[in-house]
Amino acid sequence: MLIDAHAHCRGPLEGDDPWAQDRLFVEAMDAVGIDIAVVSNLSTPRPATPEGFQKCNRDMLSALKEFRGRFWGYAYVNSGYTKEALADIERCLEADEDCIGVKLYNEYFISDPVVRPVIEKCIELDVPILQHAGHSQVNTSSQPFISDGGHVTKVSREYPEAKIICGHLGGGGDWEWAIKALRDSSPSVGADTSGSVTDEGLIEYAIEVMGADRLYFACDMSVTAGAGKFMSAKMSDDDRGKIASGNFLRLVGREA
Amino acid sequence: MMIFDSNAYLGHWFARQIRHNTAPELVALMDENGIDKACVGSLAAIMYRNSQRGNEELLREIADHRDRLVPFGVINPAYADWEHDLDWCLNEMGAKGIRMYPQYHGYKVLDPLAHELCQACGERGLAVTLLHRQVDYRQSHWMVDAPDLALDDIAQLCSEHPDVNFIILEGAGFAGSRFIKEAETLPGNSYIEISRSSVFMGKEMKTLIDTLGAERVLFGTGIPMKYPGPALLKMQHVETSKQNKKKIFGENLAKLLGV
Repeated sequence: MLIDAHAHCRGPLEGDDPWAQDRLFVEAMDAVGIDIAVVSNLSTPRPATPEGFQKCNRDMLSALKEFRGRFWGYAYVNSGYTKEALADIERCLEADEDCIGVKLYNEYFISDPVVRPVIEKCIELDVPILQHAGHSQVNTSSQPFISDGGHVTKVSREYPEAKIICGHLGGGGDWEWAIKALRDSSPSVGADTSGSVTDEGLIEYAIEVMGADRLYFACDMSVTAGAGKFMSAKMSDDDRGKIASGNFLRLVGREA
Repeated sequence: MMIFDSNAYLGHWFARQIRHNTAPELVALMDENGIDKACVGSLAAIMYRNSQRGNEELLREIADHRDRLVPFGVINPAYADWEHDLDWCLNEMGAKGIRMYPQYHGYKVLDPLAHELCQACGERGLAVTLLHRQVDYRQSHWMVDAPDLALDDIAQLCSEHPDVNFIILEGAGFAGSRFIKEAETLPGNSYIEISRSSVFMGKEMKTLIDTLGAERVLFGTGIPMKYPGPALLKMQHVETSKQNKKKIFGENLAKLLGV
């Protein structure tokens, strides 16, 4: 079984075929053998307003219904709106059992105190947080509050029980920095392999430093990049099974 | 079906460790992935002040693997004595082409130096390679600033040297560039490698095939800097005929280089 732990849905869009974009993605999933994609909808100007992320989450819940059995969901919130964020997390998780976690983007570093109520809510509900992340030396002004592995590790020392996925090791930043920064995070912290960067050795280095138990297969919509690097990376069959789906199923308490 | 990789390397890269970067290791990686031949350039030569030393290392490295590895020299036209190095690449190394790196060598794609190098390659029958990027800009080393080249600048350079064959590696975003928008009027002397092309949602690879013709599309992986899997998956799933896949996998490059 192959679970893409970091993906996005777009619909329903205006027009004759509101699910056309998502259907293309499902066709790509079929082509490379992805059984389930865990999606969030980020189709709103950011930093997101409550109205913005609430609309995203309504659309995400619609997508779960439209593609039942192929999509699971993350509720996306801006932690700066504490009351609305907590309410929308609860609303989404109650609305659909296939909504299994929370997505945070770049409005705040995950180590910012404003994010604490969201982290505590996720601990209370026992659901994972997928954190958009990257560590780069360039264009830092474009995402001034993007979290990196260091921020995630810092949070995990304060909340060792928090289930956090550091997003897209191959998302374009310095992946060696990210992997090393996550080495001493709590055991409940992991990272996904997604992103367009397909540098040889990325996944093997993550296994070496972080261990295979904390890694999650993902594409973040770069389907051939994500599936292709997982196909090429050298690892034991046991580790491949864990990263493909075993670790994620364990994280969300589900069976294959 | 012959698989001929237009985008491969040997040697050390300054910013991170590269595995499988000796000739025996690269050939073993090619064997694992069914790749018959590969065009290789020296990674070290890109950042050496004197790139020629990297070319010399490459020649020694591939000595026992000439049947599998086709050398490309790295030429910096801003460095002393480059014409000598170019002749050495042609006559001593047996290069089929060169790779030029304006983004690392301190000149612009449309500077006179670039034109001089292209003209010299044309006179010698050597293909000219440009890389839209060598690595993703977001993972730049803090000491080196090498943004992606502008595809429209590359298209302009190609158009001004219609007698030279250009190989464009590691490119993406062609649909919005002159390569596609002005495909009918630009000379057909550019060949596009597919390791960063989309085949599913964006379908850029199909656009390249439909607009430029399959004859101008080349298979490439970026090994050993990149995993080979993504490029192989793209070839598996691109919407085109078996005949076109055969051309892209190897026939086009073999014909282009006379190999």
